Amino acid sequence: MYTLYFQHFNSKVRLTEEEQELIKSYLTLKKLRKKQYLLQEGDVCKVIAFVEKGALRAYSVDENSNEHIIQFGLEGWTISDLYSFLTGEPATYNIDALEDSELVLISKSAHEELLQTMPKYETFTRLNITGAYLAMQRRLTSIISASVEERYQDFINLYPHIVQRVPQHMIASYMGLTPETLSRIRKRISSK
Amino acid sequence: MKTMQTIAIIGASGNMGSAIPRGLAKGNYRLLLCANDLDKVQTVAEEIKSSHPGAEVAVSDCSRDASWEADIIIAAVPYSAEREVAEKIKAVANQKIVISIANPLNDTYDGLVTAPDTSAAEELQKLLPNAKVVKAFNTTFAADFATPVIDGKQADAFVAGDDQEALQTVVELVETVGFNPIVAGSLAVSGTLERMQLLLIQLNMKNGYNWLADWKILHH
Repeated sequence: MYTLYFQHFNSKVRLTEEEQELIKSYLTLKKLRKKQYLLQEGDVCKVIAFVEKGALRAYSVDENSNEHIIQFGLEGWTISDLYSFLTGEPATYNIDALEDSELVLISKSAHEELLQTMPKYETFTRLNITGAYLAMQRRLTSIISASVEERYQDFINLYPHIVQRVPQHMIASYMGLTPETLSRIRKRISSK
Repeated sequence: MKTMQTIAIIGASGNMGSAIPRGLAKGNYRLLLCANDLDKVQTVAEEIKSSHPGAEVAVSDCSRDASWEADIIIAAVPYSAEREVAEKIKAVANQKIVISIANPLNDTYDGLVTAPDTSAAEELQKLLPNAKVVKAFNTTFAADFATPVIDGKQADAFVAGDDQEALQTVVELVETVGFNPIVAGSLAVSGTLERMQLLLIQLNMKNGYNWLADWKILHH
């Protein structure tokens, strides 16, 4: 139920048994069935979710009802609408489950209490945010400076497991391409 | 809130346990009806679906799995079964709202089995120290859920708990059912609410209210 969460935690900051038990008391376990929402646009995002099992996506919807995938969340990843979580403003993202999923959630109040009372949790959070920032920077650099072929190649090298689990049209959405364009790129790559 | 919340009702084959989801079916909730007798609870689910075709209703015979899936857990079981339920759901109830509806009546309905300085709700909180226990739906009879307006007056329903956000969420549930919610205070007020219902049960039996009676505070 918490296996991956604490593996991830301990890989960044080592916890004692007692500290682990203390943190557990602040965490919420939640199961989500495929297609169920963790968050819908317009609600305030009250949790950060760690994926123990399954797959989720965060996406925005534009005026023409097109979905734009911002982030995937697979086992061992964290997913949230961080802007809404931190500011208390309504969320601009929707987060739903692509597969039946098991999550470890931390609420805003629990998160803040742990940040204040437990230096190890603060370190863990800082390392997580730093990691997310670097991933975001890499994604941004790739979008503005690499060719679509390079971007797709980078994506499958970095996240080979996503390609196997997520439908192609969602990967196209994540890359900001139409499914047709992505399909052409894949053909071109495979014929090389 | 747009995001659909999942509510697990443990003991959904019972009188109160089936009345509560019937009352909540018009809200934006996914209802997980949970009981040992799956056939019985399946019948309740089908009734709800036929009267509210849009309702999201599922059944389960595992209170632990249902509570794991849920955002809110309603322990619609008698006081005597609270301990057993708490043991089953303890690992998955951390930080979740757990609603205590029980009135800890004795067998002859003329007193409570709890000590004077505690309540069914506070005892449940002790069993689930990391959950947000809220007292609600204990001052309303099962029949009131079908008739939340009695004799032209909307029945009051009292809510007590220590977590403000959890209280607000439960107030919304009470409103969805159709009662007028009144936040009575902290969880320590639960004992008073449970004794109020002891009185109403005694009056019901004495005066023949036919289990359709409720509280209403008259005020300026």
